[in-house]
Amino acid sequence: MRSKFLTLAMAVAVGSFAVYAADELGKPALAPATKVFTPKKTAQSAKKPAIKGVADARAKTPTPPGTAARPRLWSLQPVVRPDVPAQPTGSTNPIDAFVAAMQTANKVEPVGLADERTLLRRVYMDLIGIPPTVAEQDAYLNDKSPDAYEKLVDKLLASEQYGVRYGRHWLDVLKYADSEERMYAAPGIHYWRDWVVNSLNSDLPYDQFVRAQLTGYRTTERTTMANVGRRSPLERRPDDLFALGFLARGAVNRDGKDVGELQISAVETVSTAFMGMTVGCAKCHDHMFDPIKQKDFYAMKALFDPLVIKKQLLATPAELVAYGKQFEESEKLRLAAQKPLDALAEPYRAKLYADRVAMLPADVQTIINKPAKLRNVAEQKIADDYFPVLRIDSDKIEEVMTDADKRTYRELRGKLTQAGGGRGARTLPAFWTVEVDHALEREPTYVLTSGDPERPEKNKPVEPGWPFYEGEKDFREGRVEAFSDWLTDKENPLFARVAVNRLWQWHFGEGIHKTPSDYGVMGGRPASQPLLDWLASEFIAKGYSQKALHRLMMTSNAYRRASSGDKELMKKNLSVDPGNRYLWSFRLQRLEAEPIWDSILSAADNLDTSLGGPSFDITPASTAPGGGGRGRGGAAAAKLNRRGAYMVRGFSTSREVVPNFLQAFDVDDGRTPCPVRTQTVTAPQGLFMMNSPEIETASTMFADRLQKESQGDLRKAVDLAYRVTLSRPPSPAEKDEALTIVGTDPARLKNLAWLIFNLDEYIYLQ
Amino acid sequence: MSDQTLFPCGQISRRHIFKQSIGALLGGAVGALWAEDGKLDARLPGDKKADAVIFLFMCGGVSHIDTFDPKGNKYAGKLIDAIGFGDNVAEMKRPVIPCLRTFKNYGQSGIPVSDWFPNVGGVIDDIAVVRSMWCQEGNHFPAVIETQTGHRGRAFDNPSFGGWVSYALGSGNKNLPTYVNVGRASSPVQLTGGYLGASYSATPFQAGPVPIPNLKPPASSNAAERDRQMESLTRLNREFRERHELNTDIAARIESYELAGRMQLSAPGIVDLSKEPQHVLDLYGIGEKPTDDFGRQLLMARRLVENGVRFVQICHAGGGNGSWDAHGDMKTHEPLCRAVDKPIAGLIQDLKQRSMLQRTLVVFTSEFGRSPWSQNTTGRDHNPKGYSSWFAGGGIKGGTVHGATDDYGYKAVESPHYYSDLHATILKQLGLDHKKMQHRVFGRNFRLVEEGHGPIEQIIA
Repeated sequence: MRSKFLTLAMAVAVGSFAVYAADELGKPALAPATKVFTPKKTAQSAKKPAIKGVADARAKTPTPPGTAARPRLWSLQPVVRPDVPAQPTGSTNPIDAFVAAMQTANKVEPVGLADERTLLRRVYMDLIGIPPTVAEQDAYLNDKSPDAYEKLVDKLLASEQYGVRYGRHWLDVLKYADSEERMYAAPGIHYWRDWVVNSLNSDLPYDQFVRAQLTGYRTTERTTMANVGRRSPLERRPDDLFALGFLARGAVNRDGKDVGELQISAVETVSTAFMGMTVGCAKCHDHMFDPIKQKDFYAMKALFDPLVIKKQLLATPAELVAYGKQFEESEKLRLAAQKPLDALAEPYRAKLYADRVAMLPADVQTIINKPAKLRNVAEQKIADDYFPVLRIDSDKIEEVMTDADKRTYRELRGKLTQAGGGRGARTLPAFWTVEVDHALEREPTYVLTSGDPERPEKNKPVEPGWPFYEGEKDFREGRVEAFSDWLTDKENPLFARVAVNRLWQWHFGEGIHKTPSDYGVMGGRPASQPLLDWLASEFIAKGYSQKALHRLMMTSNAYRRASSGDKELMKKNLSVDPGNRYLWSFRLQRLEAEPIWDSILSAADNLDTSLGGPSFDITPASTAPGGGGRGRGGAAAAKLNRRGAYMVRGFSTSREVVPNFLQAFDVDDGRTPCPVRTQTVTAPQGLFMMNSPEIETASTMFADRLQKESQGDLRKAVDLAYRVTLSRPPSPAEKDEALTIVGTDPARLKNLAWLIFNLDEYIYLQ
Repeated sequence: MSDQTLFPCGQISRRHIFKQSIGALLGGAVGALWAEDGKLDARLPGDKKADAVIFLFMCGGVSHIDTFDPKGNKYAGKLIDAIGFGDNVAEMKRPVIPCLRTFKNYGQSGIPVSDWFPNVGGVIDDIAVVRSMWCQEGNHFPAVIETQTGHRGRAFDNPSFGGWVSYALGSGNKNLPTYVNVGRASSPVQLTGGYLGASYSATPFQAGPVPIPNLKPPASSNAAERDRQMESLTRLNREFRERHELNTDIAARIESYELAGRMQLSAPGIVDLSKEPQHVLDLYGIGEKPTDDFGRQLLMARRLVENGVRFVQICHAGGGNGSWDAHGDMKTHEPLCRAVDKPIAGLIQDLKQRSMLQRTLVVFTSEFGRSPWSQNTTGRDHNPKGYSSWFAGGGIKGGTVHGATDDYGYKAVESPHYYSDLHATILKQLGLDHKKMQHRVFGRNFRLVEEGHGPIEQIIA
């Protein structure tokens, strides 16, 4: 949740609080905003008149008074491509040279490389989140060509299942949720998720990926010059409409009030996800540690202030026409029932109303009896306040009716219900997007006390802007547009650093920089800044291709290391580096909820790998605390065997939205950007794997499959069981144990299936 | 950063907790009651009065005027100056509606209780009624959050009261969760462990045949077979575990499977009510339609407390706003009162006859009360400004009335107690200092109790 995020930002601060405590009393502890860079003129801006002051702003490096002695934040320094260390590594991948240098400096020694099968499973689970089939295993192991491994990585990067797996990683960071209290964009929000998945599959360059979600345009070309000399907006690529779900998703009403959540959410998500900075922390006060002022938060919020949420129908023309016809029909039916109903009830209603009014104080009566048009503002307020008192509900009318009238009344109401009560026409498919309201662009913006829109601090006006930049801003194409040009500029030191570190984290289990959304003072330093910077510059050089980076990382020896090795060596390494920051072995990782789900279903040969569409909910309505469950809200899809990435998540104050299974395995509810999932080890996880109906069904299906595919040969079945799930044949000892379990009874294959699902190795990736 | 890594999604790593407990677990005997100390040193000097709490939360807001705080009908039909809370918060004249209940003085103490709670009236001498509770929030979810966590809003991930208690007290039985919620809550916030970590969130139990999700093996399996399976599992895990013996995650996983196994063994027996004698079932109204559901929940609560669970929260009529939310007609309270009255009285009698009442604190409350006026109906609006909660057992002075609302039942005027005082009172009886209920996280101290007068001494024996 957002609040969690806020607290986190402060959380990261705990460590060296004392160091700055003295400063906190008086002046700001740290260097206030240091300007980082100004975007270079892009091809397009070159066409435009020069922006005055930009060059000057670039030239000067302001050093705020009293801060000269303090070191500037490392992450705000430009990315300078480091030389690859001349370290003999036996690998041609530059990553390994950087890693070796880091290991030498920190006195750790790496274990050996993982064996082929372990690596095969690792690559599949990492890149697509589904274990390799037996045929895929054979194909890889039989490929003796020197680049077999590279081909494997490329093959999986080309699979559309890659987008589902890595899309889900990004959606954690970008705060995807299917619902959250009154979230306007809830209907159709999955189109945004599907856009993210498709973008990754088509390897949309990262800068375009970000720009599209901020502005709806992939590139900085947003306008075109017409022959008549007028600049007009370029038409957007139609499907990029769905990218804006990113901003629309933030619009949430709390307790029935619009508290500007769209804007607040935008600042918090954009600054953590793409800048690695906790600007959200400055909502209520100046950032305690980072060079971010409270004004910076509101300046950044002002970027998004003109945005309003807008419903976009997704119906075809034929559907719209059909809708109109259907609506007319249902209106006819409704009116036929409504008119006699009103006629019957009206005298009663009038009488009850008059009685009610008579009970009111005389001055109020005078106001109520005035026609609405003649009331002044204060009077109208009073009349509105008394609305609930004067509202006459149908049950009150029934209470005073004669028996005969009551019967007729009920009959007529029944007819009205049958006629659909005016809601006969079904809802059309829609998507919620954002657009700029130009009237809002003219309104001044203030710092808000505690972020409350009803408490503006009129003595603290703010101009739209963003931290780490003090140059002039060109808002002619829009505020967010100007910001996104700065954000995605090659010279922005945060943009590429933050992105490559996320990719690294998703491959290795922990980022080179351990706190992927905090590059501030309290985020600490990366394990190897040269490695991070080299990757960042390589990312830019490769045109922000995420797939190129995956390939680069996965073909390093660092990625191919075993997860364990010689015990003495491991103990020695652990004594100097207990957290394995220096990558002396591959981190043993508990699989996330989604790949666990996908693995179980794929063992049962029951995984639907189709892409896109609404989320599905596995919670049966009868057991969901707070109600709900399967099919609730109409958006939930009927199929329950889809990939875990499509399982519903969200938040409601009145019911649990996130299914028990996801919660047990540490999936967040999507209320806050989640850059690192907690990895817990709890009893309910064990109970799910041991006893859940999902495991029971999957065990049966898996056993059936084993029997069928082994044609009754139980030795073969045991072999297959291990290969399907763990991507390796059983060891002789395991085979003996498994055969003891199965005996001669094929029905006992189910016991074996259950056992394998409960193995440590099943949910821990080596 | 320290070992207690602060996770960006706001959850505290629970791994360190497991690390600490592995040794303790291996030393204990499976199936036995064995306790673990709390994580917070907040002990008050001297002996504690209660070991456990049964917290009865009536979702939606019980009308105090129609139950434990009689006002007569002197003002019925009159308009009074008031500010609304629910749908309409404007300042205006509101029509007081008549109270249709009859009250009777019960027990030695002669405390009046309405005809909706005759059975509770029968045990009134064990009960202390506080008629002057108040909170700030006037709508359900905000008020539930405020009364559950001691804080308004969810700006910080504050844990629920039960989470605090289990954090401070520790477990009375490692075979069972420390904090259990029974019944459907109004909001998931009522179950949260917040920044204390998910280990301190409530484990939801249902009153039906499946009290804990996935607790029972599927019908197709049998116990002996499952035992053999567990042995095979250990053998099949051996190679992997040896390879990764230096990894603390794998050690924690072994432990978590053990706890899951123990819960499987111990929890079903505890939630199985079939061995209870008929006279006990009768006491709770089990077997009678109106009271069967709630009676089962309360009997299960007693059994849980008997087995070392520290905090049992029972949410009645939850989901959405809660069924006690009687805007339309006060008559909607009638079936709800019937459903809870006998079971609650039965619980108190049962605890008493087992000599458990003196060590078990029973608390009855809602997020707020109901207004003297209606919104053009025969029901009542929300009222956070004055309402009643009551306490029994655990060192509470029975047969006491403390505090009062004004003549209408609108505002708490005599000894008003902010809801945090209720928390402080319970904590004191559990031997905990409400001022020390704090947790340092995210660079600052967070407290459960920030305001109020502290424990309500007038109702403590």
